[in-house]
Amino acid sequence: MQRHQDKLRCATIGLLCLLCIGFGLYAWQLPMLIGGAVGIVYTAVATTLALCHADPPPVETPLPHAVTASAADRPADTDDTAVLVRRMLAQSRHALLLRKQVVGNLSQDQFLEACEQLHARMGLVPEGEVILRNDGNDEEGEFAGPAAAAAEWRIHVAPVFLDCCAVTNRQYYEFVAAGGYRDMTLWDQQTWPAVLDLVDQTGKPGPAFWQHGRYLPGEDDLPVVGVSWYEAQACARWLGKRLPTGAEWVKAACWPVATDGTAMIQRRFPWGDSLDRSRANLWGSGPNRVVAVGEFPSGASVGGIYQMVGNVWEWNASDFRLGPQQSYGSGAPLKSIRGGAFDTYLDNQATCQFESGEYPLSRRHNIGFRCAIGTCDLVLALPRNEALPMADAEPSTCEVLHV
Amino acid sequence: MTRGALQPMKSDDLAQSASPVACYVCQAANTREAEYCRRCSAPLALAHQALGQRQRPQMVAILGPSGSGKTVYLGMLMDMLSRETHRLQIVARGAFSIGLQQATVSALARCEFPAKTGSEPECWNWMHCEIHHNIAAELPPSREGHARPGSRKRGGAASGPDPSVELVMPDMAGEAILEEVEHPQTFHVVRELLRNSAAALVLIDASELARGQRGPDFAAMKVLSCLRELELRGGEGRIVRRPLALVFTKVDQAEVCRRNPEEFARVHATGTWQYCRQEFVDYAFFAASVVGCCTWLETRGAGRRRMPLRVEPHGIVEPFEWILEKLYPAGRR
Repeated sequence: MQRHQDKLRCATIGLLCLLCIGFGLYAWQLPMLIGGAVGIVYTAVATTLALCHADPPPVETPLPHAVTASAADRPADTDDTAVLVRRMLAQSRHALLLRKQVVGNLSQDQFLEACEQLHARMGLVPEGEVILRNDGNDEEGEFAGPAAAAAEWRIHVAPVFLDCCAVTNRQYYEFVAAGGYRDMTLWDQQTWPAVLDLVDQTGKPGPAFWQHGRYLPGEDDLPVVGVSWYEAQACARWLGKRLPTGAEWVKAACWPVATDGTAMIQRRFPWGDSLDRSRANLWGSGPNRVVAVGEFPSGASVGGIYQMVGNVWEWNASDFRLGPQQSYGSGAPLKSIRGGAFDTYLDNQATCQFESGEYPLSRRHNIGFRCAIGTCDLVLALPRNEALPMADAEPSTCEVLHV
Repeated sequence: MTRGALQPMKSDDLAQSASPVACYVCQAANTREAEYCRRCSAPLALAHQALGQRQRPQMVAILGPSGSGKTVYLGMLMDMLSRETHRLQIVARGAFSIGLQQATVSALARCEFPAKTGSEPECWNWMHCEIHHNIAAELPPSREGHARPGSRKRGGAASGPDPSVELVMPDMAGEAILEEVEHPQTFHVVRELLRNSAAALVLIDASELARGQRGPDFAAMKVLSCLRELELRGGEGRIVRRPLALVFTKVDQAEVCRRNPEEFARVHATGTWQYCRQEFVDYAFFAASVVGCCTWLETRGAGRRRMPLRVEPHGIVEPFEWILEKLYPAGRR
């Protein structure tokens, strides 16, 4: 609608300018000629800009509409809503359904089903503090990161849900098939030029190691790899989630416990303090390739989150941290990755604390991602009157946290 | 007044001191107490080690210009094969052989690269190792002038005959290698090693080639021409038959090389590729990387340095296996 109004305004101004030029030529009035010419130039520029900022190509799936649906725009047909919800649940977009802007469109059964899927596929990381270090050594003298300057952060982490498993090829295919690479609203504007280059081995939009827009047969449950940080972020947005911050990720893996209010006990590995290679897919302990996300169950964290160490590195939302005396000598800043991969060689690089970095546009064979969402962004309980909140209602923090 | 005292004659010691020890690399005679060869500066510990073995170790030259990754490659190779996860296993001979492995792995664990190898031969790391294969029948009978793999028991009565080979692989400074190649007789030990080595690994920096620089290509061509000259001068024929593994290093920064090293050589190292085709019989291209990602880091007061962000070795063992296969062909196992 707005675009039509802009076009009409441009056309009117252009017509008036032409009239000015015509009158100026007829009466040989120089100011009229100049004014008309300026108007024509303005119209041309405005029209060009309007075209440049045109809406992105429409997405094949109608799902994104659900994100922004206001109460007035809700589908009138209940069957359509049911189909839509069913489809979103099949696409693992439960978090999107439980967002407070969307949850009002759900029936009670749909809400409960979305909650069930959320709890089945995501683990809750409780509120609390976590210690991140980049001094090179953790409390036991273990090297924890490449930054040379000593620094330690004690960070408070709000309660957050983290995917139990890394995003699989099957899940990522849903994103690709739904037109995720064409829906530019999912991508940061500065990455738009790069999106065209994010193609698979056959030139189709998709991860670097796919072919013809699909993953290879038999790789359904393998974590998706060959995705850049931007692709991971876009897919997370499409799922209604986001990438975890470094603090959230470490807290989920280390599972810190405050002993006397100040001292913290943090595990070096999700299962304890000593490296047990039988619990993780690392160099020399696995088949030397990526395995399915459900394997190595004995290596799960206390919160039931799988493969926080090993199999694939995972993109974090945070930037790769440098020490206070350090800066990048050249090249772009790096994004943080954590967890180690199937080819991680050194033991000290397979700990929960260890942080590595990677260029955000890199599409490596051993980097995947998992998603997170803060509990404050979700509605997880029915209010006392058993009625779902309306889309624009603001649930109180207490309601959310006391689920 | 003088008093006489009885002093036992240590005739054995005297006899041993009097007999010279031949340097392992250049065969020059040295006194037994000497630490380094007076002629080529190679450590005489190698000669002492070799004297104690039933088989004379073969030499494999690790060549390449400065910064091509020789130290990291060799250190990682030793460390990977000393773990019991590979069908090839290495046992270091002498503490000096473990130094390089320790220095490399310790530095990488701190997200640093090991210190640059000094130009003087005394600063080089010499690796003397014994390589075991898990398949007992895989090792061949001896070749003339080459080592005969021994056969001995390891790991208790359960293990069968365990053939092994002994190799010496020096980690030389890249500057010294190129200096000797360009100006012969500058580093005698380099020339002797090039002449006497049974096989050679030439390391070429793929990241520089991928950026369009020709330096690594020229350096490799110089090394190859020197190898050819030395081999043809001493033997017959016009084609070099010494096994030659050309290893593109740092392929984490040149993904296209990882997929097809030979095609990468044809496109980015045209001179080397062409030279190999014309002058060598036994050669193969490989792609290897030790780290997963690198970045340049500027630290106030400490300057700019390259920082390995994580260790993910790929393609390290394959060239070495290929060399072993060439030295001890499977067909004769």
